[in-house]
Amino acid sequence: MHSYTAFGLRISSDLPLPELAQDLAAATLTGDAVPEISIAEGSHHDWPAIQLSPHSTPTLAMAAADWRLELEGVGWFRAWDGTRLSWERWDDSVSNRDVRTFLVTSGIGALLIQRGALVLQGTTLVREGKAVLLLGFPASGKSTLAWCLLQQGWQLLSSELSVVDAQGLVWPGVQQLKLWQDSAVALDLDWQQLPLVRRGLKRYALGPADLPVAADPTPLALIYGLGRSKRANHKSEKEKPKEGPITTVEDASSSSEQELFRAWARKSEREALLKLRNHAYQPRFYRAMEQEASLFLQASQLLKRVAVNELIAPDGITKMRTALEAVDLLNPDALIREEEPLSAVEVEA
Amino acid sequence: MSGIDKGYWYLASYPKSGNTWCRVFITELQRLAAESEAQELNLNRDIETGAIASSRHWLDDQLGVNSCDLSFAELDPLRGRAGESAWLFAEGERFHKVHDAFKSPDSRGRAVVSTAGCRGVVYILRHPEDVVVSLSHFFSWPMDRCVDYLLDPSAALVPGERQGGNQVRQHMGRWDQHVRSWADQSELPVLVIRYEDMLSKGAETFLALATFLDLPAEPELVEQALANTSIEKLKKLEEQVGGFAEKPEGCERFFRSGRTGEGAEQLSIEQRKRLAKGLAEVMERFHYEGNTSD
Repeated sequence: MHSYTAFGLRISSDLPLPELAQDLAAATLTGDAVPEISIAEGSHHDWPAIQLSPHSTPTLAMAAADWRLELEGVGWFRAWDGTRLSWERWDDSVSNRDVRTFLVTSGIGALLIQRGALVLQGTTLVREGKAVLLLGFPASGKSTLAWCLLQQGWQLLSSELSVVDAQGLVWPGVQQLKLWQDSAVALDLDWQQLPLVRRGLKRYALGPADLPVAADPTPLALIYGLGRSKRANHKSEKEKPKEGPITTVEDASSSSEQELFRAWARKSEREALLKLRNHAYQPRFYRAMEQEASLFLQASQLLKRVAVNELIAPDGITKMRTALEAVDLLNPDALIREEEPLSAVEVEA
Repeated sequence: MSGIDKGYWYLASYPKSGNTWCRVFITELQRLAAESEAQELNLNRDIETGAIASSRHWLDDQLGVNSCDLSFAELDPLRGRAGESAWLFAEGERFHKVHDAFKSPDSRGRAVVSTAGCRGVVYILRHPEDVVVSLSHFFSWPMDRCVDYLLDPSAALVPGERQGGNQVRQHMGRWDQHVRSWADQSELPVLVIRYEDMLSKGAETFLALATFLDLPAEPELVEQALANTSIEKLKKLEEQVGGFAEKPEGCERFFRSGRTGEGAEQLSIEQRKRLAKGLAEVMERFHYEGNTSD
């Protein structure tokens, strides 16, 4: 058994989870520490029948305190009672790395929601004892921005999902950045030496051993919602043909307004609340497990402490990296301020 | 009737074949029928007919995982199942744009879009020569490259295997394979319409579209919606909003000429012959003339 601590919880797992911090206490004092979360292999044939929530989908079977994921080709996962997480490989070709990719994201995320936690979809970094949460959907550029910030002396607290408690503290969670190959290249990383997130994906994983990480819960000072400039959206990756040059944001032309970070504050409480609701980690899990009321309550409590800003990064990784040198994310007022644009194009639903 | 009873529809097409025009028309027809606001159509705000079927965000919600952690080959067989329950929570968003072929080489013989709860598909096709010209403007590619693209059995729209993007890979294959994949599938009722008929026989074609989609199909309403969404009107509206949000970088305007026959004027004889030879059967089936001279 392996022992870890993440999100303020002691976790035991039959599978090594190097994305989480080792539980040193458990390693030295064997036996007397009862884990709050147990992760173990099990058979989906043993799962009891449940009354499905209407928010279930063909891959997600959910009830109040029971969450099940059937991911064809990868495996079966079940989180229940806020304490147990079981997994099963689809077949022998599925590696430990394949399994834990989904265990430490969707699996632990579901457990945390069952435990009543406020889990937001975002990466949290720390500097000067203050935490900044970068909210954003997958592929919105959180990890690339986070990596650049780590080069400037920030520390990684939690990636992909971040838990904020009632005191406004963000807890150390999964501490891994996943970078696409184009990002890794643009950031001058020796990507050939980096482990793949999963076999067959041109996506690389940097874990706690490779990154400066923060070990303590830290008060959340600011939230930034990562957006894209309308222009970057116009580039419309969706319409890129396969044979085309891999047009990264790097290729964007050099109009100066695109070379700086811009930000604006969410002034309306309702907008800010919706922002947090939409960026809860998997809102469908909240609905299906009957935790949405608690999500709203916790999110509105959080808004009494912390402001939500929108942040538009320059188009292009190199430009973003350069622009970041002149920016202090702990001081949003020093960023180029904009009125909330009417036609703000966000990376949203 | 609740949103659940209404089901949902696909508007499928090879890119640059009139899909957006159809969506704009549907939005306008619904607006006119509802007699809600007298406001003019706003391209960037009002075209809310439904998410594109390849939206990553939508897939993440349905699958319950970060789809960036799955390869495109792993995703294709899952995508069809993913949408099975989506209509439950998509009231008002009932018309989904699709550029994928109905199945992909990775989808294990399954449709890449959900068919459960789907009431049908409108497949829009356009003369491949004109598609080439339009694609060339859209991608900022030379014509020859676009001809190759229409003839490429592995053609796809992708965000690149090396980066994420807001959408997942959309396999299209050769232009004729794309047409057949939708027109000849038997899992969904299909209405095939030609872009050329949308232009030359607008009233009749759009009335058929409205009827098929179970939309208000009074001829006067359809004609009014059609008049409000003419290419000239759309060009003007695009100017007003300062560029349509679906326009890619480098592409001057999304709504360009909308004309037919540009391919025959602008492509070389050799390019036209390559298309005619490679796509002969389907072109003939849908009454598209090509250059077949020796």
